[in-house]
Amino acid sequence: MSTILQVSSRMRHCASSLESSLTQAALVGSHAKILRSRVIPTTTPTITPKVNARHLSSIQHNPRWRASGVLDSYVAQPAHPISLRQLVFFGGRNLDEKKIISSANYVRTELPLRIAHRIRDMQKLPYVVVTNRHLSEVYELYYKAFESFRRIPEIKTLEDNEKFCEIVKTALQEHLTVIPSLAMGVLECNDLVPSHELDRFMNVILRSRISRRVIAEQHLALTDTFNSPFHFPDSVSHQPHDFVGEVFLRCNAREVVEQVGKHTLELAREANGSTSPIPEIQIEGRLDTTFPYIPSHLEYIIGELLRNSIQATIDHHTPSTTSLPPIRVLICHTKEHIIFRVSDQGGGIPIAELAHLWSFAKGPRATSYLQNFSQVPKMAATLQELQKTAHTHSRRESMDTSLSRLTSRSPNLRLGMGLPMSRVYAEYWAGNLELHSLDGYGTDVFLQVSKLGNKCEQLNLDGV
Amino acid sequence: MYRVVAAAKPLQRTLVRRVSTNFNSHAGSGSSLEGYTPPTTSPANDMIAQLAAKHLDRLSLKDLIRFGRPPLSTQSLLTSARFTREYLPVRLSRRIRALRNLPYIIVSNPNISTIYNNYIDSLTAILAFPAASLTNLTEESRFTELLTEIVKTHSNTIPILAKGFLECRGYVTPEEATKFLDHHLRARIGTRLMAEQHIGLHLASVPQPPTVAVPGKSYIGTVDTELRPAEIIDSCASFVGDICEVRYGARPKLTIDGNPDVTFPYIPVHLEYIITELLKNAFRATIEANSPVPIIVTIAAAPGPPDAGGITIRIRDQGGGIAPDDLGYIWSYSFSTFDGSRSSIGSGNSGHLDDTDGGNAGSGMDVMGRFTESAGVLEPSSIAGLGYGLPMSRAYAQYFGGSLKVQSAYEWGTDVYLRLKGVGLDGL
Repeated sequence: MSTILQVSSRMRHCASSLESSLTQAALVGSHAKILRSRVIPTTTPTITPKVNARHLSSIQHNPRWRASGVLDSYVAQPAHPISLRQLVFFGGRNLDEKKIISSANYVRTELPLRIAHRIRDMQKLPYVVVTNRHLSEVYELYYKAFESFRRIPEIKTLEDNEKFCEIVKTALQEHLTVIPSLAMGVLECNDLVPSHELDRFMNVILRSRISRRVIAEQHLALTDTFNSPFHFPDSVSHQPHDFVGEVFLRCNAREVVEQVGKHTLELAREANGSTSPIPEIQIEGRLDTTFPYIPSHLEYIIGELLRNSIQATIDHHTPSTTSLPPIRVLICHTKEHIIFRVSDQGGGIPIAELAHLWSFAKGPRATSYLQNFSQVPKMAATLQELQKTAHTHSRRESMDTSLSRLTSRSPNLRLGMGLPMSRVYAEYWAGNLELHSLDGYGTDVFLQVSKLGNKCEQLNLDGV
Repeated sequence: MYRVVAAAKPLQRTLVRRVSTNFNSHAGSGSSLEGYTPPTTSPANDMIAQLAAKHLDRLSLKDLIRFGRPPLSTQSLLTSARFTREYLPVRLSRRIRALRNLPYIIVSNPNISTIYNNYIDSLTAILAFPAASLTNLTEESRFTELLTEIVKTHSNTIPILAKGFLECRGYVTPEEATKFLDHHLRARIGTRLMAEQHIGLHLASVPQPPTVAVPGKSYIGTVDTELRPAEIIDSCASFVGDICEVRYGARPKLTIDGNPDVTFPYIPVHLEYIITELLKNAFRATIEANSPVPIIVTIAAAPGPPDAGGITIRIRDQGGGIAPDDLGYIWSYSFSTFDGSRSSIGSGNSGHLDDTDGGNAGSGMDVMGRFTESAGVLEPSSIAGLGYGLPMSRAYAQYFGGSLKVQSAYEWGTDVYLRLKGVGLDGL
């Protein structure tokens, strides 16, 4: 409870400072235009007469100097990517003390290692970007986590593991603000750095974040299983051995789409008023497939796609239309993949917008998305009201995951991140996400996920 | 091999590099290089180089309609003729230059050298027509007749080039072949268009005897200002369906939805080529997968002027999709999965496009038969197998800023997205 309060107070702080930071961003923007070709770490920039000393001092920043020797040694080691199958295999039956401790130590060493790489990435970004208020908060969070995790001694007993799990839980909670902070930071910096660089940075950092949370949450779930093998909060009709930690072995594609569909339609009904028409979601194809996956990931992606389709369909048709064309979801599978195709008749996407669709930096419309983000912190306080317990098969439903916040947000909050974030999640497990627009008619989106989970995490963009 | 090229016509010898006799007579006179004269390049080769080096603007739809709706005034018609007379040689020279830079062994292939000779012939013929004489309609008519001849000569280029490259597949890598063909065939689109546009404008502006087919009222040369994609799709579906009946004894159903009444200004023959090729793929897949599901063609029209968002056509079939192993090859020239085998230029596979007599073609129709059957690039009468359909369609789509994308769900079906930009008529 206390951590949620801490988090929400920080977010409120964020919200109130967003306004001044927007002004700052504008100033930094014009300031940076002078220095665009050189980002110099000196503190004697050319000052235009319009910028006065008071504003300048508010963007002064004195970064903490930390000896980088320790970080260097971590950065030098490569991360050890895992596959979904390994996650499952590792935590399968015969979960015993030895395995739990081994899992704990894997997490204990991998987390600081992966965070170290990301810290180094951030350190190499232009100074003006990392000193952005939001990005510097993320940087501080990451460094704190690095310092804390690298100091944990080797875990030898179950008691050690319990303490370790508490530390992990706290860190996961603290880092809930990372996605909105990153997104806002990137939007604010979009005139300081070429957007393809910002996008690349976001992709790498988000992938790594997913990876850390996956292995952390998996370990917590395994510890839960080990501690109370017969206790399943909120399990619907699923047998215990259907879950290995966070991985649901028998994810049924049709069920996922149905559940998520119901949930997003409800949100849409609430947002648009119960009298206005809502399109139907029709599912077709090979409906019997089951495969192992982490449900919250799949639900997030499908949720975003359905959200986009529903909203586009509603927006594209005049209010007087009584029935809206349905959204058709096709499910099919090959030996190795499951394919979802979401087709809507929501009018398609104009060419001008296609260019920025997959970008976190969002081009010219950045400001309008930024304004929507300012409402995300407020959402934290009223989250309990908004959140419907419709969707997840997650074993740890009480856990306030950052994904569940995003999945439950109101359709009116257009953050502009749905597609690029979904793509990061899809590609994380070596899947992919493609979009085709029929300008004037509708949009088709193809999501391909790897079935057997043999594919390893794609930690780096070059697939290594 | 030098002999092969020179033997064609006496006129051509001037355009071929000739080796100076001085060099030969020098052969036995010891090691000193005194008195050595390097081989001379004939002036005509310089001309090709000069012409090829001239600046060339990319042809846009706007260029094509710049004279307005026919009938054109004599003045405009002559301007069009002079423009064509000036720039067609530049385009032809560039093609010749590209061809003659190919490895010797390739251009020696009889098929490729036929094409090479065709280009030389056409260039010679055009250069022989004095530009200065284009001052009256009689001369302009003569010029248009010449253009018509040239267009006819070159109408079979694609199958012949394809056959030539196939025969040379041991001497060139697939990448090199694709690179040359891609560049050549894309440039060819513009060259043909330039000639056909003037011919079309001429036929619509100068009274013709009733036996001659003239473009319809809505045409500006090759551009139909009221092109209705649904009509083209219907007629192509009927044509491709006929081929299907002949080959498989069945034809799949096709429905059109979206916005079937929309029209936009575009070049019908281009759209026809693309739709025919795409429907061939969709029909073949559907039949071979024994799927009862009809092929659905959706026409979408972006709001705003035709040169903004344009038209998007989606062809959706449930014919089983494209195998992941094949996906990387679909844009290569001469890659075909017809009859279940795979072959591509330079791969050395004994694939379906083998030129062995009788072949292992399961269709009972060997490669020779298929080539002679196709009358020209715009009237292909075989269901598949040439391997040029997708890359050529994409070349046509991209020529005026459109795009062609293929999205396959293996073991289910394929969606193809064709986007075309029209041209703003601006009150024309």
